[in-house]
Amino acid sequence: MRHEDDTPIPEYDADLNALFDVLPREAPGDTRAADRLVVRLRHEGFFARRARRLQWPIAVAAAVLLVVLGAWGGWTAGRRGSLEEMLARNDLTVADRVLLLQRAGSAYVIAAQSYASATARTDTTAIEVASRVLLGAAHAVARNHLDAGVAARLTSVLQPSATSPKPTIWF
Amino acid sequence: MSPQRQSPEPPDATLVRRFLDGDEAPFRALYERHTPRLRMLLHRLLGRDRHELDDVVQEVWIAASRGAHAYRGDAKFGTWLASIGVRMVYARLSRRARDDAELTDDIPSPPDGGPATVIDLERAIAALPDHQRVVVVLHDVEGFTHAEIAEQLGIAPGTSKATLSRARHALRRALTEGVTNAT
Repeated sequence: MRHEDDTPIPEYDADLNALFDVLPREAPGDTRAADRLVVRLRHEGFFARRARRLQWPIAVAAAVLLVVLGAWGGWTAGRRGSLEEMLARNDLTVADRVLLLQRAGSAYVIAAQSYASATARTDTTAIEVASRVLLGAAHAVARNHLDAGVAARLTSVLQPSATSPKPTIWF
Repeated sequence: MSPQRQSPEPPDATLVRRFLDGDEAPFRALYERHTPRLRMLLHRLLGRDRHELDDVVQEVWIAASRGAHAYRGDAKFGTWLASIGVRMVYARLSRRARDDAELTDDIPSPPDGGPATVIDLERAIAALPDHQRVVVVLHDVEGFTHAEIAEQLGIAPGTSKATLSRARHALRRALTEGVTNAT
């Protein structure tokens, strides 16, 4: 039995050798094939550094956008329930308006306490403002006789002279 | 006037390293540099399945990209790439396991009376049985040794020689007897 290594290999003749020598060695391809290949490789996670280069400016922009949106959202949410915003609305129910009255009154009392804590001497302007606010509030309620005489009693207590009424200061 | 000096193109190993760092441009440079030769090799190896050429070229590049970290630059990149293509095509052909005799019958004859041309040779190579065609292309066209062919195909060098012997007989028959038969 003859081993395969011993197999004689026939030689080509000169013409055939010449044909082998001139066989083309290169074949141009579709120029878009490289683009398709790059797309596919990118899907497999290649060229990640380029992606990272693009990612960090996008991340910074997203962070800035988030901060701006957060600040705007917080400011809007903060204003939504504020006393000033509630006072400007004209779509409140009666119950809401009573609540608003209570909140505004509480704010007034807190402001007065804050003023009293901050000073030790009598200030006539502050007294005037405080009493006028109280009177103004009482008169506002009294316009439709809804205060059960509270306005009249307050007036008698706060006004030194009923004969010389001063204009109400509205806040 | 002195000729304009062009900057030398970076070697393949440098391009591979930059590609592995995530750069796309070096990969495109490698692709443009080596794909024409790879296409021609795969075109011949595929024989009748050359309609699959574009897919195979892409698969070879994808396999090469996945294994690029294993390329250490001790062999030419083109040779390394070609070996991937050879193994891929050979695996395809082996899976398909066509009957050699069936294909041998399909070897075309050269044009009537005239000497064989390059086109005739290409046709005759394409019509060889798969294993013979692969060995002929690698040995007679690409210049690989039997040891290199054996390593790439996972066969013994003696098998490569025996296959080449049969292939050369078949080629000569196709290119000479075809003429005889036609006349």
